Order: sequence, then structure tokens, then C-alpha cells
Amino acid sequence: MAEIFGKTPVPGSGEMGKRTLLEHLFTIAALVSAVLTGAVFVFLAVFAIPLIKNGLFFQLLFSNWLPQQHLYGIYPMLAASTMLASLSLALSFPVSLFTSFFITAVAPRQLRMVLLYIVRFMTGIPTVVYSFAALFLLVPLMRAILGRGSGMSILTAVPVLSLLIAPTMIIFFVNSFQRIPSSTILAADSLGATPVQKVLYVIVPQAWPGILNGLLLGLGRAIGDTMVSLMLAGNSPTVPQSLADSARTLTAHIGLVLAFDFDSMEFKSVFVSGLVLYVSTAIIMSIFRITSTISTGRRK
Amino acid sequence: MKKTKIRTRNICFQYHKKQILKNISVEFPKGEISAIAGPSGSGKSSFLIVLNRLWEEIDGVNVTGKVEIELNGQMQDIYSGRIDIRQLRRKVSIVFQQPNPLPMSIFKNVAFPLNLAGLKDRERISREVESALKKVHLWDEVKDRLKEDGRLLSGGQQQRLCLARTLVMRPEVLLLDEPTASLDARTAEAIEQLLIQLKSRCTIVMVTHYQDQIQRIADSHFEVVNGNLINR
Amino acid sequence: MINKTLERSVIVLSWAAASILVMSVAILLGFLFAKGLGTLSLKLLFGSTPPLAAITLRQQVFDGLFPAVAGTFLLVICSTITAIPIGIAGGIFMAEYAGIRQKAFFSLLFDILAGIPSIIIGLAGLSLTIFLHRLFPGRLGPSLMISALSLALLVLPYLIRSTQNALESVDPLIRLTAPALGASRIQNVVKVLLPNSMADIIGGIILAVGRCAEDTAVIMLTGAVAVAGVPHDPLSQYEALPFYIYYISSQYGSPDELASGYGAAILLLALCTCLLIFAFVIQKRLVTLLLYR
Repeated sequence: MAEIFGKTPVPGSGEMGKRTLLEHLFTIAALVSAVLTGAVFVFLAVFAIPLIKNGLFFQLLFSNWLPQQHLYGIYPMLAASTMLASLSLALSFPVSLFTSFFITAVAPRQLRMVLLYIVRFMTGIPTVVYSFAALFLLVPLMRAILGRGSGMSILTAVPVLSLLIAPTMIIFFVNSFQRIPSSTILAADSLGATPVQKVLYVIVPQAWPGILNGLLLGLGRAIGDTMVSLMLAGNSPTVPQSLADSARTLTAHIGLVLAFDFDSMEFKSVFVSGLVLYVSTAIIMSIFRITSTISTGRRK
Repeated sequence: MKKTKIRTRNICFQYHKKQILKNISVEFPKGEISAIAGPSGSGKSSFLIVLNRLWEEIDGVNVTGKVEIELNGQMQDIYSGRIDIRQLRRKVSIVFQQPNPLPMSIFKNVAFPLNLAGLKDRERISREVESALKKVHLWDEVKDRLKEDGRLLSGGQQQRLCLARTLVMRPEVLLLDEPTASLDARTAEAIEQLLIQLKSRCTIVMVTHYQDQIQRIADSHFEVVNGNLINR
Repeated sequence: MINKTLERSVIVLSWAAASILVMSVAILLGFLFAKGLGTLSLKLLFGSTPPLAAITLRQQVFDGLFPAVAGTFLLVICSTITAIPIGIAGGIFMAEYAGIRQKAFFSLLFDILAGIPSIIIGLAGLSLTIFLHRLFPGRLGPSLMISALSLALLVLPYLIRSTQNALESVDPLIRLTAPALGASRIQNVVKVLLPNSMADIIGGIILAVGRCAEDTAVIMLTGAVAVAGVPHDPLSQYEALPFYIYYISSQYGSPDELASGYGAAILLLALCTCLLIFAFVIQKRLVTLLLYR
């Protein structure tokens, strides 16, 4: 037997230091993925740097889109993205939060599972399917209500986008509620708290990092969505004056790119849009990471 | 005079910055059964995994101090960079309190360490598995169902399966964490007899909380008190 | 008293929120099915072409969804085949090899990659295409290959994360078993940890497949077109279900075309739902299968 297991511990064969080829491949895979993330950024940045240097970047960022007057600014899209995302979040957040209360505490037991399954199912509904159905249901309705225009407007896109980001938030909220240590909940139970009281006075005050994280992911999805705004918001490249106006978001602006010439101004404006989106999602995800660290730190 | 098999100096064990063991300096004689007692959560099991460096696989653990074990007839510092950690764990091997059969057949479970060591000779593997299962008095119970999942055995059978899986490596030091906790009285006695037989080939360090068991089979007796190991 | 009112209003609002959510989805999908269920038939897929001839590629389908379904199918296969090895290997690195600092750094990067709007991945793919087009004029353009690579990048962080989570949630006792028996780290990964977390890893892969199948933003910039037939060449343009739905929504010329759009939407919805259910079931079934094999 000794020969299989070798002459035990042999000096000079520190095996833990050596890694096999396969193990090097794991490291390489992680590095490649990281480099690709960086490469997307570099792709955008390489384009933007000359624009920043000659001041064109900020000019593009803050001027209007009037190609006839040789103005290729993305300010209208920036405004539309901000409006659409914040309105959708404002609509979706309360609905999601109360739905997760419903799933955690308020609903009768059987209904909780049913609703959780529905929410999971919603995560699987393709965006383009949502938008397609809304295009033929909601848009004519809006046209009738507003009495003018095509019926495609910020107001049309907001409810659909809210519906799209709700499941992400709900699942995050429900998970963070369920992670509260059972000892804490037991303490509330022994004081005779009702389910709603537990949610309000025990769970929510402890689960705020999870709520914040769900909110951040919802915001990220709202800013990053392309199909809903492209198909429902109307795509007119002007600063929307009211919610009933047609608007074009940054994502839709990229989606509508027709130019294939790196040097054209249209293409440059698309790249600036991309960079703005990249940087804002990177900031959102960094905050997300920090709050995740806080919430896991609290659990230990 | 008794020959020393294991000697520790100033062992400190931290888990997530919490001090579990401090400044443990003890010696365990060769070919004896040394029992370690102490309240649960006092760090008895932590001490065992210091002796084969298994704590290095667990996040948040930090150990300082020196451990020397006599291997191949000479005292060796197991924390020196020249030690092959895989060989060390085969020679200083542990059986956990909770049986941990892997999700594979009974046969494959016992053959697993041989497989890890790169042994290919099937006939030889069968022979080794059979003899290990016989040593722990499990062979008669499982010889017709070797292809069944190891996790379908009863708790006591699983524990003996795990002991067999360790014995198949022919360890020089056997670290046992409550080896009879999940066994009925008769099997426990058989295992105790087995441990006494093994003394000629193995040095055994055993964590237990049964005083009567210590009386019956232990040659020396230690107790963990406030993170320290005291010889009784 | 104030607390009582607060608690009551929470109950009322919770019921209201849940009802609004469920009803909105029910109305949207109900509308879709009311309009589209009637179109579901073999004719929707193959038009006037005999199905067998279409599937064996002997005859081209001009008036059915078959080329779009085939395009989506090929696209999903190519992109997951590219992403799976990198994603799983990266996940193994994250769970088993990365130090604390490395883990924090890579986690941030992968979170960012997961959070980037998919249209930006599409834009990167488009830029790559234009760049390659300049290097090899006339040879490379928007194509199935570029779309598949871009989609692979899109689902990479999901695969890494799901693999990492699956490995990290292996029972600590099982995790220690092989090292205690003299296993090296790689032996532990290959022989114990991966087999023990296979159900969750496969679940993650299926969800990634769903993501590839439904994405529209990436493919509209990288090679999906309205009419291309069944792709014969990875460097050619192709049709895909989600792009077809988008295209029909703005460019439909006749009620028949619009009806096929509804049909396509139902098909895509059914495909993604099936994948989701499959992923859900497999995570439970595989565990039991492994237990009693």
C-alpha cells in the first residue's frame, strides 16, 4: 500500500503550490470575462476620448437633435430616459413593495405560493412580447384618451415598463424579507404581533439593504430597457414637454442607429449615448455591490 | 519510555477572529488512544483539524503554532512548506462526527481515496475495499448491495462506512470526532474493540464526551478548558 | 389608533397592489391570446410549404415562421455553446480559487457586465463588425456569428454567478470530505463539488438559454433581418422570432402578417415559459434523481 500513497510527507513536493492546467483554465476564463467587460467600456471610451478632448462630448450631451442644423446632441434622449425610468420606478416601487408584503404576510397561505409562481413566470415573459401586446392594446386606447397624436408617448410606455421591472424588485424584496433571522421573527411572534405588524415593525426596518438593492436593480432594468421604449414611446427626438408627448430614450436612440460610418456625427452621438448608459449602470451596480456587502455583513 | 507521535507547540485557533483555542502545547504517545473531552462548542473538533491542516479548507479560520508528527520514522513539522498536504491527510486522517458518505455507491465510497490516489488496479481495489469493510464489521451487511447509494444506509452503517473509507488509506494517525455517537450499543462496542486492535498500527486521537468510553479504551485523557488542553 | 389605521391601510394596499399586478399581466396576455390563438397551426410555421420539405431544407419557406424559429434555435445553440465553458470555468474560479480581494474585484466587474443594457452589448457587437469589415472588406458583416458572440457575452455573467452560487452552497461537510481523504483541490472540484451542484448549474444554463432566445436589442444591431431564409452559413444574416415580432409590429402590410405577429409572440412566450418551468423542475428533479440512481 505504501507505494500508492507514497513515502509520506516527502520533503520538496509541496503540491498545493502547483496548479494543474485545468485550474489555470479556470483563472483564464474569469480573466477573459473580466477583460471582455473592460473591452466593452474601452470600445466606448476610445470613441469618446477624442470627443471629450475637443469638447464635443459635452456639446453632444447638452444640445438638441436637429440634424438639418448639424446639431446631433442627445439631450432630448437623456431627458426622456430619465423621465421614463424615474416615472416607471415611482409607479412600480410601491406596487412591488406592497405585493411583496402581500406575498410575505398579508395573503392567505395558498395564495402566497400562487402569487410567487406568477411573479416567477413574469420574469420569463420576453420584453418584446410585452411591448407587442401593449402596442396593439394600449396605444389605440391612449390615442382615444389623449385625442391627439399617435398614442405612443411616455404615458404609454410607463405602465408597461413598470410591469417589466416589477418581478425583479418583488423577488428581491421577498428574498430579503425571508432572510431575516427566524429568532428575530420568533421574538415578535412571542409578543403577539400580527403578520402585518411583523412586516412593518420587524422585517422592513431590518431588510432595508435588500429593499434598496431591489430598487437599484429595478432602476438599472428601467434605464437599460430598449424594446418597451422603442416600441411604445414614439421615438421623437425632442425634449418631451408633457407626459403625453412622444419621446426617444438613449437605448432606443442606439437601437435606431442607421449609420455604419464611424466618423459620422450620428454614430458619434450613438457612442456618447452608450457611454452615458454604461457609466450610469456601472454606478448603479457599484452601489448595489456595496449594499450587498453591507447586508451579508449584517447577517454574519 | 513512551515514544512521542504528535507534539504541538503554542497552537492558537481563531474562527472569524474569535479565539477558540489558545497556546496548546501537548504530546500524544505513539500507539495509544488519547481521548479529548470537554463541553460542546469548546473547540475539541477544531483541535483535530489542526493536526492534518484540514482547517485550511475552511473560510475564516486562522491557526498559528507548530505541529510535529512522526512520519516515516522521523519527526516532521507538518506546517513546513515542504510537506505534501495530500499525503499528510492520508497519513493523518479524520472521521467526522456526522457521517458524510458521498452521493455514490457503497463500493465507490470506500474506493474513493484509492481513486484519488490514482490506483487503477481493479482487483486490488476490490480487495482493499473488502478488507476495510470487514475491519469495521460492515461487510456482511453490505456485501450484496455494494452498488447501492451509500446515503441509503442507516446512520450507524454510514458511520462505519466512513471509518472504512478512512482505514483504506492505512493512516498512521487516526483522528476521530465522536466516533460512536450515532451507533447503537452493540456496534459501538465492536468499534471500540476495533480501535483497540488498531493501536498496534495507528495512533488514535479521539474526541468523545462519554466518560465510560474514556475509562474503557483511552490510554490518556485530555480535557478542553477555556480554550486550553489539559492532561488529566 | 394611528398604528391601527396604518396597519389596515397596509392590508388594503397589499391586496390592491397584488391585484393590479396580476390583472395587468392577465389583460396583456389575455389580449395576446385572444388575438393570436386562432393563428396557431402548422400553417403559421410553414405557410404553404410542406412541413417535411421545409424541415429537411429541401424547400424554402416564404410565408411562415419556420426560418425565424430555425434562426432563433441556431442562435441559442451557438451562443450557449460559446458561453457555457467560459461561464462555468469562471464560476469555478470565483467559488473555489479566488482570494477575498480577487473575488470582490471580479464580482463588481461581473455585476456591471450583468447590469449593462443589452443594447450596449449589441452596440459593441456592431462596432466589432464595422471594425472587422474594415480589416476584411466584403467578407464580414452583421451575421449570425457576431450575434451569437454578443449574446454569449450577455449571458456570461448569469452563468458565472449561477455556477458560483451552486458551488458555494454545497454542504460544508461534503465540501470537506474529499480533502480529508487526500484529494487535491481540483480533484475535489471535479469529483465532488461539480457533481453535487450539477442541478443548479444546469438550471442556470437553461435560464441563460431563455435569455438568449428572448433578447431583441442585441440581435437587431448585429445581424437579424426580416427576410433571410434558414441560415446556411454562420457569416450570413438570419431571421429570429423576437426580431420578427418587433419588425411586424411596425412594418406589417396586411392583417395576415399582423396575425402571424401575434402567433410569433405566443410561440416565443411559450418557448420562454417552458424553459423557465424546465429550469425550475430540473433543480428539484435532478436532486432526487441523483439521490436514488
